[in-house]
Amino acid sequence: MARNKPAISLENLTPTQLMEYDACTRCGECVKYCPTYNARNKDQAIEPRDKILRWREFVNKSYGWKAKLFGPDAIPPEEIKKFTDDLYNCTTCGMCGTVCCAGIDTIELWEATRANLVKHGTGPYGKQSLFPKLIGEGHNPYLKQQKDRLAWMTPDIKIADKSDIAYFIGCTAGYNQQVLGVSTARILNKLNVPFMVLGEDEWCCASALIRTGQQHLGDVPKQAALHNIEALKARGAKRVIFACAGCFRAAKIDWPKAYGKPLPFEAIHMSQFLAEQLDAGKIKWEKNLEKTITYHDPCHLGRHVGVFEEPRKVLKSMPGVKLVEMERNRHEQRCCGAGGGVKAGIPDLALGVAKDRMGDVKATGAEVLISTCPFCRRNLLDGRDDLKMETRVDDLVVLTANLMGLSTDVKPPAPGAPKESISDLFRTQTIPPKPPEPPKEAPKAPASAPAPAPKEAPKDTPKEAPKNNKK
Amino acid sequence: MTEGLEIFGRTVFDTLFIDWKIMVPVAVFSIIMFFVGLYLQLDKWGRGVPEGATKPAGAWGTLKLIVHRIFERGIGPALGIIILDGLFQRRTWRRRKTEWLMHILIFWGWVGLFMLTVAAAAAEFYGPFILNANYTFFANFWKSIEPLNELFAYMLTAGIVIAVIRRIAFADVPPARFTSVDWIAIIGIGIVVVTGFWAQGLRGSLGVEERMLISAYEAAAPSFFNNAVVLFHEVFTLLFCVAYLPFSKLFHMLVTPLIIMINKGGYVEVNP
Repeated sequence: MARNKPAISLENLTPTQLMEYDACTRCGECVKYCPTYNARNKDQAIEPRDKILRWREFVNKSYGWKAKLFGPDAIPPEEIKKFTDDLYNCTTCGMCGTVCCAGIDTIELWEATRANLVKHGTGPYGKQSLFPKLIGEGHNPYLKQQKDRLAWMTPDIKIADKSDIAYFIGCTAGYNQQVLGVSTARILNKLNVPFMVLGEDEWCCASALIRTGQQHLGDVPKQAALHNIEALKARGAKRVIFACAGCFRAAKIDWPKAYGKPLPFEAIHMSQFLAEQLDAGKIKWEKNLEKTITYHDPCHLGRHVGVFEEPRKVLKSMPGVKLVEMERNRHEQRCCGAGGGVKAGIPDLALGVAKDRMGDVKATGAEVLISTCPFCRRNLLDGRDDLKMETRVDDLVVLTANLMGLSTDVKPPAPGAPKESISDLFRTQTIPPKPPEPPKEAPKAPASAPAPAPKEAPKDTPKEAPKNNKK
Repeated sequence: MTEGLEIFGRTVFDTLFIDWKIMVPVAVFSIIMFFVGLYLQLDKWGRGVPEGATKPAGAWGTLKLIVHRIFERGIGPALGIIILDGLFQRRTWRRRKTEWLMHILIFWGWVGLFMLTVAAAAAEFYGPFILNANYTFFANFWKSIEPLNELFAYMLTAGIVIAVIRRIAFADVPPARFTSVDWIAIIGIGIVVVTGFWAQGLRGSLGVEERMLISAYEAAAPSFFNNAVVLFHEVFTLLFCVAYLPFSKLFHMLVTPLIIMINKGGYVEVNP
């Protein structure tokens, strides 16, 4: 009798990762903290433990001792597809690994298993499958032009042609959250720190591909990492500043793997740089902000890389600011819901997790939520809006720029520009509404359908915010 | 019938007197099955490709990889993790105190009984072969370890009781969806414990010296020698806790500490 072929392969999994699947003791500690399990109404198929047990069963059915003696057991394709979909209902935040009593490195485990399933043909999930083409061909995930990499620049910003300090802007700040780009650049200018940027030579960090298990498709992340590293090296960068936690994580953890050796420069997050400048006495606060602020640790800056205290140090030094912690903070922070390809692939899940996190914010009574990742900021803004909360959500860099007496205004936003392109805390600008689209021939919406929400930012302005809008 | 087991002209005594003609083959079979199971697991893990490699590691390569990863930062840090995370289960202590107590009671109860068994086996041979002593040496040795033997047995039992009560009444998260193997483990260990106490009760009805002398045994407790419960306990324990271990859910007893050591103590130790 001919034996079945194994229903799955073990490609992309290391021996250690296969051991990790056998090491789970089913204690369920991960279940208590998993943000997506919680946002999916405690659906057991989403919990990390269940995924480990299911994949373990697949492996044992295909390669275990019974399979070795009697041939592999069949696994219905729909079971593998269901497992794949459940595996992608995960932001790869790493909370499960943080609390795992068996010490399993779950972030790497999920990413390796996703890569396996992409090769199997059941992954990735939804729109995530567009990433390889977008990032591989266009070098960014937003369908933007390379020539527009520096379109956010305003005339007051000075960028050096050559400097040993570089600012790696990232796609999100460069194209969608210009407020982060201008604030970072103005702070560096004010601190008399000459810096250069790669401009059109900057490629996406490719984090989205790695997080969704598509790193092997065309080898795009490796090419992107090598391109960025070589470009920065060629321009003489000794220190590279990242204001995006996702890019920073990629540079700290993923790029060295692609490069095969330590990076030829130091990668540093803007929050770390600000803390350094604070220690050196170079930051002079020119304004104060009498507000209660809470800080959200981005997974990619905190749990993945270990930067927890520097952003808090900067916040605590700000005049007037009262920093309060959410119950879940630092190592045990709850994810914002955007990572791991979830924002692009499963937006309703991203929103659900963001709402849970905004619930954590609400419990503190804070008026302002500060983060250090543009992607977290975007998703938490969505959660805030969905819950109709009054909390302002902004980036540490934007807040720093304002309190240093700098403008956080961007070029006048285009009609219908993303709400995250301007400061949410200092509402000195508004986004003009998108002009109505010409009527379509398509069937009309029912009369009872709700009108789409305007993309315009709320117009009320806090008393302490500067009111000039000269840019 | 002899008053002990004749080995190389010396008489070896012990307190169990289970028919060695059954026990020795079962023990050898169990150990062989344990290593076969271990090999099959290593072979399965070895189908993975280590980072930076192009081919699967294979069983032997995986074994080398495990040792390399555990000791790659030196013996000192590795020992620290082995002691704190392997022997005292620091990660569980940090997050789940009741579960830690349960694990520690089961783990140290099991390890304690295992170590005493090894010590008793060593004394069986040390007396007649090294000291040229008669059965009183082993009798005295056994008396000295019996309180510890009872302590470890009660620890193991208490741990299992906590495990069952926790699962039924105090679970803080829903149980995993695939629990059939959990029940196999719990029932198997339950059988080991119940028959173990039963067998110990039968043994305990006699003094140590009497237990060591078959003639005395047969006179005082003719039903003990070849007693079905005692024999079942010994055989079942070997088969379930040794031979079946690599094929069962209980295999995490070996894999989990290995993973913690390979991952240098896990998240909190890597990202303090």
